[in-house]
Amino acid sequence: MRRTAVLTGSGLRELLARACRKSRLIAPVRRGKTSFDFEWLDEPDEVQVDYVRTVLPPKKAFLPPRETLLKFERGPHPAAKPLLDDEPFLLFGIHPCDLKAVNQLDWAMGQRHGIPDPHYLARRKGATIVGLECMPDEYCFCTSVGSCDTREGADSFLTPIESGYLVEVLTEKGERLLKESGDAREATPKEEAAARAYVDEKKHRITSEIDADVGELPGLLEPRYDTEVFEQTAERCYSCGTCTNVCPTCFCFDVNDEVGLPPATGRREREYDSCQLLDFAVVAGGHNFRGERVDRVRHRWFRKFVYLLRERGVPFCVGCGRCSKSCTAGISLVDVLNSVLAQAKEEAVR
Amino acid sequence: MTTVQRRFPDENPEALFVPEMAAIKHAENLTAQDRLFEIELRDGKDLGHKPGQFVEVSIYGFGEAPISVSSSPARRGSFELCVRKLGGLTGKLHTLTKGDPVGIRGPYGNGFPMEDFEGADCLIVAGGIGMAPLRSVVHTILADRERYGRLMLLYGNRTPDDILFADELKAWAEDERSQILVTIDQPAEGWDGHVGVVTTLFEKITLDPSRRVVAAVVGPPVMYRFVYAELTSLRIPDNQIYLSLERRMKCGVGKCGHCQVEGKYICIDGPVFTAEELRQFHESI
Repeated sequence: MRRTAVLTGSGLRELLARACRKSRLIAPVRRGKTSFDFEWLDEPDEVQVDYVRTVLPPKKAFLPPRETLLKFERGPHPAAKPLLDDEPFLLFGIHPCDLKAVNQLDWAMGQRHGIPDPHYLARRKGATIVGLECMPDEYCFCTSVGSCDTREGADSFLTPIESGYLVEVLTEKGERLLKESGDAREATPKEEAAARAYVDEKKHRITSEIDADVGELPGLLEPRYDTEVFEQTAERCYSCGTCTNVCPTCFCFDVNDEVGLPPATGRREREYDSCQLLDFAVVAGGHNFRGERVDRVRHRWFRKFVYLLRERGVPFCVGCGRCSKSCTAGISLVDVLNSVLAQAKEEAVR
Repeated sequence: MTTVQRRFPDENPEALFVPEMAAIKHAENLTAQDRLFEIELRDGKDLGHKPGQFVEVSIYGFGEAPISVSSSPARRGSFELCVRKLGGLTGKLHTLTKGDPVGIRGPYGNGFPMEDFEGADCLIVAGGIGMAPLRSVVHTILADRERYGRLMLLYGNRTPDDILFADELKAWAEDERSQILVTIDQPAEGWDGHVGVVTTLFEKITLDPSRRVVAAVVGPPVMYRFVYAELTSLRIPDNQIYLSLERRMKCGVGKCGHCQVEGKYICIDGPVFTAEELRQFHESI
């Protein structure tokens, strides 16, 4: 289903206030002078509709940085219970790139290998998602990776227009949510056109781009497995893992047991892990399969633009720009990619 | 490639990460660092594994680790794990004994395609703890002897004290179609057997050119390239060479990412690959 409506700014506040009373809300808020983050909120007052990107992506609503998988009892008769969080919540204000990333995670934690992850899916099932159109900064490149018009996964989607927001109602959940605003009305053709113009303006403002069609990337990158571009990038990289922690499509994790108080109980927890950290690929006995930094650096680009792109048909990068903006060493994902592509072009000319 | 045999709780998908509780039926030290456990699932039900598959062994409070199954699938009512003491979980496991509970998830991974070994001469190359999963292969061959051709086992260890299943090695050698060759890396007092790394055993075997030969290789990461070179010089085709890759399979169900080899997950697509399949990977061995 798809229909459009118009919601005023105060209508949106009302919608969020009512949603807050009914379920939990996770939405972007300001943190410090220039940063934003998705946070769990009791009140909608702090919600920010005008932001470029949050520090951590909204994946944390489904895949928190740290979560309990099992609660266990130790001793002579050990037992464990899975902890599943299926309480409904509203994820508000997610941009099209992050929405695309939710779709990638739905696959990675859902259908992939035919093994659904119950912890991810429980949260995902409880979510109502409201998307929000955005304006880019110099780090954004959603137009290069096919994520700038994402609607899939959202229950409704808002585009700012003069009179408030043009609302695309995409599912039954989205319809129910809109009813709670009280003052939604039909959109005029002029308002529809204004929303389209907003998106055109967004695309026009994007300055960062990948110098190839994403579909061509596996074929262009793979022959350049040993390119000095990755060597040079590795010389700058600190292997800190920030890039993968802030990535909306990264989903690797580590699992550890926490013994509780009393020690007869405890929790098995998982937390974000990173292929960029030195010990990620260490096996028992100490051998490290990616002990060289260049191997870890290459793995990041290859995983996003070769391995998973081949497997899924879409890159595991949505152009949000978080990794490049957060990188301690100032490494730009797009620049590195384009350096390899420039080599490919040069070689083709020769 | 073999069909992937998966076991995860279809009937109870919420329990993906919940181990089944099992009990240690018997435990004994094989060497100073290796302990063999016989484990019984609740109600004595079979694990239902294939040689080369692994389980995630759990002790609450200590964590979970992937351990390959050492016993033959033909064994009923219990299964065996040979565990080397290397980390926190395996260290704790070494303190456990008869009657102690452990958690088990799995079996996971693809395992060796034993149907491809049928009718062929079987060349098994084991290094150190690599003998643990290969024992499951050897038991499978010996339990159904007529189905398989010659059994040649080349087994390398650092010292005589590291040799696993020493009594069984002698028993296996009694089969007239078996050739069991054991070596240690450096000369040692009281050892009158072969000395040298495992590849130095290759000159002791002669393949029958009229027979199909299938190889199975498990050992420390450093061993694979050298063993593969030997197998190639014996003209064993790449699609008849099976190598089991070691990685850190943290979740066992294709999610956590630790066991990725380029685009593959060892816990799902492996751990057993043919040399032909591995040729397409830079990272594999």
